[in-house]
Amino acid sequence: MFDWKLALEAIGMVIYATFMGFIFMGIERKAMARIQRRIGPPIYQPIIDTLKLLGKKESVSHGLIYDFGPVFALGASITALLFIPIANFQLFSSNADLIVVAYLLEVPMLGIMLGAMSSGNPYSALGVQRGLLTMVAMQLPYGLALIALIQHWGTFKLSNIVALQQVHGWSITVPALLLAFIVFDIVFQALLGLEPFDIVSAPAEISMGPMVEYGGKHAALLFTQHAVQLFAETAFFAVLFLGGASNLLELLVKQIAVLFIAIFVASIYPRFTIDQAAKFFWKWPTIIGIIAVLLTM
Amino acid sequence: MNELMIMLFAPLVAGFIAWALDVRGIREAVGVLGTLVPLGVLAKYYSTIAGSNPEVVTQTITVGGFKLIFQLNTISWYFATIASLIGVAMAFGMVSTSRSSYEWLFALMSYTGVLGVFLSGDFVGFFLFWELMTFASFMMVLKRSRHESLKYFVLSVIGAYAMLIAIGILYAKIGALDFGTIRQALYMDAMLGSISKSLTALVFLLFLTAFGVKAGAVPLHVWAPGAYSEVDQSYTAFFSGALSKAGAYGFLLLYILMGAKLVAALGIWHNHMVFSYIIAWLGAITVVVAGFLAVLQEDIRKLFAYSSVSQVGYILLGLGIGTPLGFTGALFHVLSHAVFKGLFWLVVAALVLRTGKTRFEDFGGLAEKMPITFAMSLIAVLSLAGIPPMAGFASKWLIYEAAISAHMPLVAGAIFLGSALAFAYVVRFLYAVWFGQRPSDLEDVKEAPLPLLIGMAILAIPNIVFGVAPGLVTEYLGKFLGNPVGGNYYKLVTPTGTYNALLVAVLLVFGLAIAGLIFIYGAKTRRIPVTNTYQSGNPVTEDYNLSMRRNFYRPLAEALDFWLKYSWDRFYERLAGIAEDFADFLREGFYNGNVQSYAWYLAVVLLILALWGVL
Repeated sequence: MFDWKLALEAIGMVIYATFMGFIFMGIERKAMARIQRRIGPPIYQPIIDTLKLLGKKESVSHGLIYDFGPVFALGASITALLFIPIANFQLFSSNADLIVVAYLLEVPMLGIMLGAMSSGNPYSALGVQRGLLTMVAMQLPYGLALIALIQHWGTFKLSNIVALQQVHGWSITVPALLLAFIVFDIVFQALLGLEPFDIVSAPAEISMGPMVEYGGKHAALLFTQHAVQLFAETAFFAVLFLGGASNLLELLVKQIAVLFIAIFVASIYPRFTIDQAAKFFWKWPTIIGIIAVLLTM
Repeated sequence: MNELMIMLFAPLVAGFIAWALDVRGIREAVGVLGTLVPLGVLAKYYSTIAGSNPEVVTQTITVGGFKLIFQLNTISWYFATIASLIGVAMAFGMVSTSRSSYEWLFALMSYTGVLGVFLSGDFVGFFLFWELMTFASFMMVLKRSRHESLKYFVLSVIGAYAMLIAIGILYAKIGALDFGTIRQALYMDAMLGSISKSLTALVFLLFLTAFGVKAGAVPLHVWAPGAYSEVDQSYTAFFSGALSKAGAYGFLLLYILMGAKLVAALGIWHNHMVFSYIIAWLGAITVVVAGFLAVLQEDIRKLFAYSSVSQVGYILLGLGIGTPLGFTGALFHVLSHAVFKGLFWLVVAALVLRTGKTRFEDFGGLAEKMPITFAMSLIAVLSLAGIPPMAGFASKWLIYEAAISAHMPLVAGAIFLGSALAFAYVVRFLYAVWFGQRPSDLEDVKEAPLPLLIGMAILAIPNIVFGVAPGLVTEYLGKFLGNPVGGNYYKLVTPTGTYNALLVAVLLVFGLAIAGLIFIYGAKTRRIPVTNTYQSGNPVTEDYNLSMRRNFYRPLAEALDFWLKYSWDRFYERLAGIAEDFADFLREGFYNGNVQSYAWYLAVVLLILALWGVL
């Protein structure tokens, strides 16, 4: 009764996603460095960093919730990953649709914030505040982009959206969905926490915000979580707008393409303040999003 | 004596006994028993209502020449059971928080009122119990705050008159007051069209006002924040968890009784029924406006009051979608809102009881002092923020699916925004109350008392059970909505989407296990105090304020400053002020104390009457 093949696929996918997520983080740092005419660290640097953090002899804790936060965040990221159809691996995607996955992708944030808040550090608190306000700001255009997509394809199921795109062409070839794509891509910067919406961590202002207190294995967990999340979100993007993929290599190409757009945007623009970000999100992306949903109605 | 009557009046009788005896211990015991009776009766009828051949339990009594019909059908059973569940939790909460027999009397009286509203089969009983419920809750508010009770009173009176006029019009046109006849007559009339369009629209508008007040729809919500704050917080669990559902039930009734007629009279616009579209937008606006206001509150009670208004907006929105899927989502949200918001209010009751404070700036670091209450509030937070697999997510998911498949994209966009806002305000609550530095005067705070914890547990369990097995609810609702949602107990399947709650739960456990293993096999941890944090190299002592408790969402207020200049509340206050000034002017002008002018008034009145031909 128990589906061993599926279980093995799931475990394999978690390992693959973690590894590739770390590589993505490495690519991000390297590409950013090259744009700024630095040499940059090697691509596998995030893996070394994480292993170093795991190897620390002792890590400090501010209590149970402080420990639980990163664990919950990583757990939730893994859960979200397993509901996305990744290339030819359907995993559990027939059991949850777009709305569920979009929600699951936001759950890790609650974990990070729980931990950050329980540390009692004011920088963390400020990071939490900024994180939530960014989320409030971006949610409307984000929702509109997803709604446009669902309305056009007439289904909530991710696997069906992929199948339909393989027959009718990628989402971005549809004019209305191209608008939705633009909106989604702007929101994507905020989802990944990159400039101009890296308001949450803002290294120069609030010392990495929610992450400021974390060190040792807690930080290692958060690094791993970030890797899985990065992989899941880029895959989500590719599934929604770039026609999914029939094998892992094709998916990888699309994920890296998505990642590079994000990196290029991030390395050009400076950071918004939070009220600027809110006003920005509620103006152009929302207007474009509304046009997109009305066109697909 | 029929069991329906026992169920209906047991709380009221218990309330009177508790009030009359007023002995500590007996008062509480009688109260709790009184709330348990309806739940017991409802449980007994479950097999009759939800069995293979469901039947409607009907009871008719005659009071002063009026025949009152009470019936227990699939819908009223659902609403009554939710109300009873919250009622029992409220009673346990009040055992700890209330020392006043006055409060027991009126809390239980409003319980009877709510049950009566749900069970009534005609407009006479419906209106009487509606007023009983309003009166009792008004008395609860009056005890704490005269100003807030006045606001509640004025809006309730407006709602009551609106309803009375609407019922009057229906009676004049149809000549009957029981739901069955009205429903039939209006269905017939949808074809014949003997009731004019404008009159139908008027009746719709009046009912919209009446039910909108009780549900707290924007712009009729202004009573809610004050009234929800200024009562015993255990009672607020019921006030916001069950009483506001009477408004939602009213909207549902509007569909059942007048649906066909309203479609015929108001027409269809772009494939949406116009009347239903209005309700949907009312809900969407409520969700967003109340959500923003909730985020910006500085008082824990105000935050949850606005949050209640916002969440009831989801229910209206779901009803407004007008498809079976939308109804399922809305009715599911009735349940999940009742259980998570009831739980929140009991947590607030515990906080107020143990600390005596209500403003966020006075709280902090209580997670260590009240661990069980904290765990309960975490469940409520997860459910309200819509984290799968909690009950709050399942119902929101259904509303999303319904709104998008019904092609209401902008309404669905409002839910996205509303959910982010919900996330923001519950996290703010978590941060300000439970985490961070603890003010020195909260050092000896104790865990909430046992009865209150029992009340919380009663509400926490459904949050998890109906979250992991949402099919239990959708299957029951499917009995009268024609099964729009398929699947089994754990898996919801709509024509276009699917959500397997159990699998999400299992995979979440799997993910947590992986992360937990890394954590457990990692280095050992050392516990450090809250002052030992990164502060750019400055050593910190307890004297430093490390917490951000006041104006937490200041940047949002700055981004919204244009909109925050306008307030319905201030608008009404100003309107009230103008009315008062005008009345003063009239009084001073006419009642000037001069006998001669009074004689003139008399002469003028007599002359008018004479000209009219009365004399």
